[in-house]
Amino acid sequence: MIDQLFGFLSFYIPEVISILLMTTLLVAESSVKDEHAPRTKIHVYTQVVLGIVLITLFQNLGEKPVQIFHNAVTIDPFSTLMKIIMVIGTMGAVFISHSSKDIYSNLKSEFSIMAVGVLIGGMLLASANNMLTFYLGIETLSILSYVMSSLKREDASSTEAGMKYALYGGLSAGIALFGISHLYGVFGSIQFNDIVGQVAGLQGTDLAITLVASVLFFVGVGYKISVFPFHMWTPDVYQGSPIPVTAFFGIVPKMAGLAALVRISFVFLSAGSALTVSWVGLILVIAAMTMTVGNVTAIGQSSVKRMLAFSSIGHVGLMILGVVVMNEAGVKAILFYGLVYMFMTLIAFYITSHLSDMYGSDSYDVFRGLVYKHPVMAIIMAGVLFSLAGIPPFSGFVAKFNIFAVVIEQKHYGIAIVAAINSVIALYYYMKLAKTMIFGQASGEEKVVGFTSLNQAVIIALFIPVLFLGIFWESAMTMAGNAAIFIK
Amino acid sequence: MNGILNWILWLPVIGMVGVILTPKAKEHTIKMVTLVTTSITLLLSVLLYLKFDTTTADMQFVTKIPWISQFHINYFIGIDGITMLMAFLNALLFFICTLSSWTVTKNLKAYFALLLMLQSTVFGVFFALDFFLFYVYWEVMLLPMFFLIGIWGGENREYAAIKFFLYTFFGSIFMLVGIIALYYASGKGVDSFNILALQGGKFVNEQVVIFGKTFSFETIFFWFMFLGFAIKVPVFPFHTWLPHAHVQAPTAVSVILAGVLLKMGTYGFLRIAFPIFPQAAVNASTIIAVLGLISVIYGAFCAMAQDDVKKLVAYSSVSHMGFVMLGLAAMTTQGMNGAVLQMFNHGTSTAMMFLMIGVLYERSHHRWIVKPDGSKGYGGLATKLPKYTTIFIIGMFASLGLPGLSGFISEALIFLGIYQKFTTITVIAVVGLLIGAAYLLWMFKRMFFGEVNPEIEEYEDMNAREVFYMIPLCIAVIVFGIFPSPLLNVMKASVGQLVDLLSKY
Repeated sequence: MIDQLFGFLSFYIPEVISILLMTTLLVAESSVKDEHAPRTKIHVYTQVVLGIVLITLFQNLGEKPVQIFHNAVTIDPFSTLMKIIMVIGTMGAVFISHSSKDIYSNLKSEFSIMAVGVLIGGMLLASANNMLTFYLGIETLSILSYVMSSLKREDASSTEAGMKYALYGGLSAGIALFGISHLYGVFGSIQFNDIVGQVAGLQGTDLAITLVASVLFFVGVGYKISVFPFHMWTPDVYQGSPIPVTAFFGIVPKMAGLAALVRISFVFLSAGSALTVSWVGLILVIAAMTMTVGNVTAIGQSSVKRMLAFSSIGHVGLMILGVVVMNEAGVKAILFYGLVYMFMTLIAFYITSHLSDMYGSDSYDVFRGLVYKHPVMAIIMAGVLFSLAGIPPFSGFVAKFNIFAVVIEQKHYGIAIVAAINSVIALYYYMKLAKTMIFGQASGEEKVVGFTSLNQAVIIALFIPVLFLGIFWESAMTMAGNAAIFIK
Repeated sequence: MNGILNWILWLPVIGMVGVILTPKAKEHTIKMVTLVTTSITLLLSVLLYLKFDTTTADMQFVTKIPWISQFHINYFIGIDGITMLMAFLNALLFFICTLSSWTVTKNLKAYFALLLMLQSTVFGVFFALDFFLFYVYWEVMLLPMFFLIGIWGGENREYAAIKFFLYTFFGSIFMLVGIIALYYASGKGVDSFNILALQGGKFVNEQVVIFGKTFSFETIFFWFMFLGFAIKVPVFPFHTWLPHAHVQAPTAVSVILAGVLLKMGTYGFLRIAFPIFPQAAVNASTIIAVLGLISVIYGAFCAMAQDDVKKLVAYSSVSHMGFVMLGLAAMTTQGMNGAVLQMFNHGTSTAMMFLMIGVLYERSHHRWIVKPDGSKGYGGLATKLPKYTTIFIIGMFASLGLPGLSGFISEALIFLGIYQKFTTITVIAVVGLLIGAAYLLWMFKRMFFGEVNPEIEEYEDMNAREVFYMIPLCIAVIVFGIFPSPLLNVMKASVGQLVDLLSKY
């Protein structure tokens, strides 16, 4: 028994280290005497441990899939690659939080603690192999997220964000749980393994109940990845939260939710499933609406943070198209998109965070004439914006190309046309920001935007994959492809 | 041997790196690096022309290196007769534009770096034989253009830059859908991104279902490609971005835009849309001819109405590119030869016009034939600036299609070609020539003749640098007007192959 437990734990090392990190961070914060002191040591410690987690994850990447804890958790290359994306995203967010003025010093350790907590929830969700683990993952992820979004205690909009997030989150988790209970009623099991075998043989009432229940189940994930019509909370929460938190929300919960969506889709849509047509139809409509709503609403935003929030809705709409096709190529495309999207989001939020600290606002105006104040950062930001818009030679183009490719391969031309038109809309608002940065003349007093050399080095390091994966994407695609094979 | 093409493609990139590495204060060095790069590129393209085998329609100077083997994407470049001419035009115009940009002062380093980047991407579009590579170059080309118009442009430059970018992107994203659809329709094999292997009407019997309706694969994706290329040409009704982009762009960028970028659209028809979807192209030829005709007439009338001389030339480009579309729609040997020749000749004559307007703008800082307040912008330039007037006349008459200058031959060939297919359209299109002569001569009269406007008293005539960079273009329009066979010989085999293919449908 004990041997078996330790045997399981050897596959669970990344999670175990993360839990240890979270608990030691709690102790570490209580030992800090001056509450206004910068938390450099704590941040260095967090980064180093997360770096170790990353290494252990990379070691797991080559392993065969295993199911541990009585099949409650599955460790396969797919979940591991998703976890890698989440861990890098967390490291980035913690790094942004170090220099950010949006979070008070005495809350910076708390940010790290909660970020690691959300990460643990996200890792659990990505590996969930039964409905209970799934629910546990989503709740661990959510409860800490509610607190994170209201980290700016004195700020009314931050408190509002926390409240909104909690209300929406509680409701959708409840709906998901309702769906889960019906699924248990139909299948007599909460294990995905057991459900997979039974889905194909569903008939009559059972089929109808499963269809409704799976949609309810989907609500729980849909709200986490903020697809239409569960996206309403996103802009307010993104805007109210401190910028490092927003950057974090743009990556970790989204990737965890996407991983869960991929997994449950493959469960319900296993070979010969009668649910396929309705489920694929549902996701197609949701994807089309999500993209369109996200992109169209992003046009009118005056705050860069809000614009990025809405644009992230647009990106998710594109990413979930990888689920529609129900094959390895689709999962591969999602993984590649997720990887690239993580780097782009981190850079965009990092630069926005820095400028909004400088000027006390995150409107387009603070970007005006950035190219004259700090050419390198302006060029990188422009590169990221073009990458987000899907212009070669940046990796955002390759990510988009892959999604288009899998969709067209399955002859979903209609949605491809919708996605194409959405790309044009997205290009417009990204260009509006690029235009402000590069064509605009800086107004008022010329402040030199002081990016420290460490900040610059990190941003450039994050930008290298954005550029590199746009030209030499073969190896990254192979990695994503290997991860996608084991999804079934 | 095959290395020449790679050198031509990558030399501007090397030059760009050189410009970036040069310290900002050394302005003269930056200019010299650019000039040396573009002149070596020009010399190499002359060498390419000399080594070019005119007897075959096959691709020459081919390089093929695997790039993304999962998708069978290759770094696959090569040229045939059509792209040989375009490559030479591109090398020549960038060399001239470097000289004409000598007076640029604002952010000089970035300007020349972007100019060199633009040159490399334009070469890339013409050389690429892999569809994915083609698309990448087609899109990357937008970035330097966006910045060149947006930073160094006129007053309304931001609007023009965004409109240009969005319009082109709108067309090309549909092209991307078409490219991917072709990849899967051809069985995602080793040659599924190979433009040459896709040619020859392989998709005639395929069908697609879009939004529940069944269409012919050929027709749908021909029109998708058509959208991408027609916006670039630009064909009426997709031309509205062009006047804005031209008016706002700095002189050199206007020259490149009219001289080579518009040709990328018609080149797309020649290399991609027509040979890959021959049946759909033949079916669409009447529509293409009508749209071409509307471009000719409408562009000419719009040009006549302009008070801004640069806008006038911009609309004249719409009109002249309409002739190219007419030649393409004819799908006969003369028509196609005329179209390709017109692509080259319009490149030289329009470049002359835009350069001359640029020269004048540097003196007057406005471009009004008639100012908004109703007074004359110029007047009597002929008496004050003799050298300028001489060169302007050559450019204007070449663009007007005077026999003996280059524009005449290509337009005559186009009319010969199209008359066999569309008689009525030919007759109406000839009227377009007449309107063309009218607006150019009327513009000339108002600017160069009449009383000397006091404002122009102080203008200096063209200096040695300005005359120097105009000479190659003057020679080109005169020599190729009398003796077009060096151009026709080069393209003959390639155009013949395309016409043969289309004649089977």
